Amino acid sequence: MKEREWAGTTYGNAWMHKWLIRLLRYTDVRILYAFTSVFVIPVCLLINPSAGITYRFYRNRMGFGRLKSALKTYQNHCLFGQVVIDKFAMYAGKKFRIEIEGLEHYQELTTREESFIQLSSHMGNYEIAGYTLPQDKKTLNALVFFGEKESVMTNRARLFSGTNIKMIPIRPDMGHLFEIDQALQRGETVSMPADRIFGSQKKLQMPFLGQVANFPYGPFSIATMRGLQVLAVHVMKEKSRTYKIYATPLLYNLEAPRQEQIKELAEKYVTELERMVNLYPTQWYNYFEF
Amino acid sequence: MNELILELKEEIIKVLNLEDITPEDIDPKAPLFGAGGLGLDSIDALELIVLLEKRYGIRLASAAEGKTIFTSVENISKYVSENRKR
Repeated sequence: MKEREWAGTTYGNAWMHKWLIRLLRYTDVRILYAFTSVFVIPVCLLINPSAGITYRFYRNRMGFGRLKSALKTYQNHCLFGQVVIDKFAMYAGKKFRIEIEGLEHYQELTTREESFIQLSSHMGNYEIAGYTLPQDKKTLNALVFFGEKESVMTNRARLFSGTNIKMIPIRPDMGHLFEIDQALQRGETVSMPADRIFGSQKKLQMPFLGQVANFPYGPFSIATMRGLQVLAVHVMKEKSRTYKIYATPLLYNLEAPRQEQIKELAEKYVTELERMVNLYPTQWYNYFEF
Repeated sequence: MNELILELKEEIIKVLNLEDITPEDIDPKAPLFGAGGLGLDSIDALELIVLLEKRYGIRLASAAEGKTIFTSVENISKYVSENRKR
């Protein structure tokens, strides 16, 4: 994915977030879905560069026709609005129905002494995995963007208090890498996105949906440094109050030379990412040209 | 010390997959990160942390400590010779 600078933050200020959470305590999420789809998303599509990027993604990468690409672009932005609303609905105490595919893989890794890596991507609503997958046996360390709004971080911290979940903010220095390494040495789980270049600019060029795309080198390098097991985790929206979690093991040859391990692991991740994009084309939120 | 410097250069080339570089190309006093040296970045720093742990049994305590150690091969060599456990 292209190494364009990303603000790394949820849209809106603390006041807006506070009132959105209050509103969601007493309002059905579907009312806000309808409101944003009619009044907010059309404006976003006109002023936000993500509309063009998404249209070109459907047209050039997915091979859709002009009309279908335009329709999918609108649906994509509506769904993105919905997952943001869902995130704040969770902060407001709302519950969602969750189905899990591959829970046995997740449970098997959490019962081991060794640490493992969870690779995520900018699809669906990954944050829900943190509130759903059981963390009673192993601490989960989630890599998050340092610039995220205080209101979002505060609400995450509130929901994660009393759980086995910690957040590691990506810092301009290499502090977060030390925290990752120390967590792995303690046998904990580390979760990080693997579809966008952040921090280190080292990249892997991989075929993705028929063209070559840049993927971050870091997540695959970190996993293979210590020969760790890797799980791809995607959380996709099925209905207004239902999500489905896909936990897929990404197996690679631990006996192979290191660079081959990195390449094989990245290939497995990209294959899983393509599967998710084909299953849920309107839930691709990596608004970057690539 | 010179043997350790050579060994570190070889290890760095191996773990960082610096295919076009030989130990002779690395100035032991040159900065490892940023312009003017090997141009390593944060992921490479993590590789060096794991290298120190696996090869020499050294666990760094903090990011700040890493910053002062990973300035040059010569500096890493000095730190390793004073702190190595194997």
